Amino acid sequence: MHKIFLICKREYLSRVKKRSFLLMTLLSPLLIALFYGMIFYFTINKSITEERKTILVCDESTRFENKLENSKLLLFKYKTLKQTDFEKTLNESAIDGILWIHSGTANIKYDLLSKEQPGIGLTNIIENKIEKIIKNEALAAKGISENTLDEINNLKVNISTQVKAKVGYEKANSEASSILGFLGAFLIYFFIFLYGVQVMKGVIEEKTNRIVEVIISSVKPFQLMMGKIIGIAFVGVTQFAIWIALILLFSGSVTSIIQSKMQINAAAIQGIQESTQVNQNVSIDFLQEFESFNIPLLLIYFLFYFIGGYLFYGALFAAVGSAVDSETDTQQFMMPITLPLIFSIVFAQHIINDPNSNLAVWLSMIPFTSPIIMMVRLPFGIPLEQIFLSMLCLVIGFMGTVWFAGKIYRIGILTYGKKPTYKEIFKWLFRKN
Amino acid sequence: MILEIENLNKSYQNHIALSNINLSINKGGIFGLLGPNGAGKTSLIRILTHITEADSGTILFNGEKLNQNHIYQMGYLPEERGLYKKMTVKDQLLYFAELKGLNNKEAKIRLKYWVDKFEIKDWLGKKVEELSKGMQQKVQFIATVLHQPSLIILDEPFSGFDPINAQLLVNEILQLKANGATIIFSTHRMDSVELLCDQIALINKSEKILDGTLSQIQQQFKQNKFELHYQGEELLADNNFTIGKHHNNGDVRSCEIELKQAMKNNEILQLLLQKNISIVSFGVQVPSMEEIFIQAVNQKSNSHQYA
Repeated sequence: MHKIFLICKREYLSRVKKRSFLLMTLLSPLLIALFYGMIFYFTINKSITEERKTILVCDESTRFENKLENSKLLLFKYKTLKQTDFEKTLNESAIDGILWIHSGTANIKYDLLSKEQPGIGLTNIIENKIEKIIKNEALAAKGISENTLDEINNLKVNISTQVKAKVGYEKANSEASSILGFLGAFLIYFFIFLYGVQVMKGVIEEKTNRIVEVIISSVKPFQLMMGKIIGIAFVGVTQFAIWIALILLFSGSVTSIIQSKMQINAAAIQGIQESTQVNQNVSIDFLQEFESFNIPLLLIYFLFYFIGGYLFYGALFAAVGSAVDSETDTQQFMMPITLPLIFSIVFAQHIINDPNSNLAVWLSMIPFTSPIIMMVRLPFGIPLEQIFLSMLCLVIGFMGTVWFAGKIYRIGILTYGKKPTYKEIFKWLFRKN
Repeated sequence: MILEIENLNKSYQNHIALSNINLSINKGGIFGLLGPNGAGKTSLIRILTHITEADSGTILFNGEKLNQNHIYQMGYLPEERGLYKKMTVKDQLLYFAELKGLNNKEAKIRLKYWVDKFEIKDWLGKKVEELSKGMQQKVQFIATVLHQPSLIILDEPFSGFDPINAQLLVNEILQLKANGATIIFSTHRMDSVELLCDQIALINKSEKILDGTLSQIQQQFKQNKFELHYQGEELLADNNFTIGKHHNNGDVRSCEIELKQAMKNNEILQLLLQKNISIVSFGVQVPSMEEIFIQAVNQKSNSHQYA
């Protein structure tokens, strides 16, 4: 035990003491925030990524004259042109395209002539605008005014879901659960990969530097492997703890900023448009939904599945590291480890839609998938016995992989030269030391 | 006896590494484990250092059956050297010492001794990757002996050392011996064997083909050859001996005498005194370890061929 502790200590300190550890711990949340912030910003402000296009409308039907709505991204100009002048106009004037509306009343033909291949968005927008005019005309012909139509379109239904609780019913919080679940699942996926690969790299480093022979003359291979896996687990927990501390430190101020912004928005919007008021209420509901979770309990579950999943996969990563001489040889053996992880994260998106399906329950029992799938399901509230069973399976699972990896590791770390085949590795399992 | 090895066997999937090895290693001496590449030396060392297990056979360490606790009394310098490149010299040495059962305080005291001795104080805070190859070798050697092992196993200790560092290493090995440690070293550098070893064993193709003290073995391989420097008429072969390699350097002649049958030195001298020569010097030709090594390996492989 003392030996494992010593190895664990070295693995931990040699990583945490590095300047890059602190830097990455502080920077990576910032980088992630920046990354998503930029995506969000560009989605909202399309004008940055897309330029305003000018379209010259040549309307032979005269039906749409001055009726197409201008927007931030589209400006319509109207001019009657002869067909023979199209090319000249397109080349000489500062327009991006000519919308040629053929004459006729029914089954009008529309052509968009442009210098460059237009984006699919542009065609869609123009189509919608034309359709809207035609529909409005049709409705007007049947005696329905535009205002009446807007009224009808703004009729909204909001279902308030109630889930049976011990006493009566509780308000359900599917949206918040989905977000929380997916966040947890993604973090675990990310952590297992990040730290699992660190275990593998550490093993390869010891093997290629030939330190392993000196160490194995002092400790058992199993102790070395476990020391390394546990040491790196603590690095992960430390990193996570720093993040939690940072969140607690900053969340107070951030929440108040968000709230004050919302109040301003709400005041500005109030009285202008009623429908926005409805949206406002929805987002406030959404914040309240988060408050209804038992966050500390979810954190404990998260830590358990993080550590359990990491131990389960970390041992396998250690086995892969021991079997090869250099990182370039790892790919073949990484496949069977990474596939279930990728499979889980892909399935997580379906599980969100039906967190209590048979498939979801089964996947949350199998240790290969349970750490990720369970994180998705937990915020939806699932029966306690399922949680316990899943945890038990995971514990048995990682004891199994640690045993399995230990068998491969003890032979692998002293075997140099040719990359072993799966068959040889399988033989190592039963070979005497 | 610090080590008694009996009927030791070890085989890997495709080949036999050690077959029926019997060895006794005296306490406080330097034991040379010799043999060509791939003979099984490293396999034997790995069994002694608990890295692998033997298939069968017994090993006694100080009279006790070899067990996990004995590794604290052993220091091992593998043929393939290795250190953590990103770790500082100090952290690294303390780590290895602690793995060998020393507590941190004790390890620091011992470290100071070696730091002063090798004058590496300025290097303690540096990472291993910043050191020269020779410095790394010194660090590795300190790591091997820091916990004051009673049995020190050095696998090809001189490989990669420049002559100056090799001399330093020889001195340290002799010093450790003087302090009471037993040293086993495997090598195929025969000059160092003659210089250092009290006892040797020769392993070839998984079998021990020779062992004993250096003088015993040299006696065993002595080929009844003598070197003679003399003045006077040229000595000719007779019933008792033949003459090889005759030289004539001015008035002193030298030759190699090979006896047809074993004789005591006095008897040979008497024979020579009867000749018409005046003896300048007379010496027994001791075979070099290199000759013994090649001869023993060839003999064995020939006998295998005709068996």
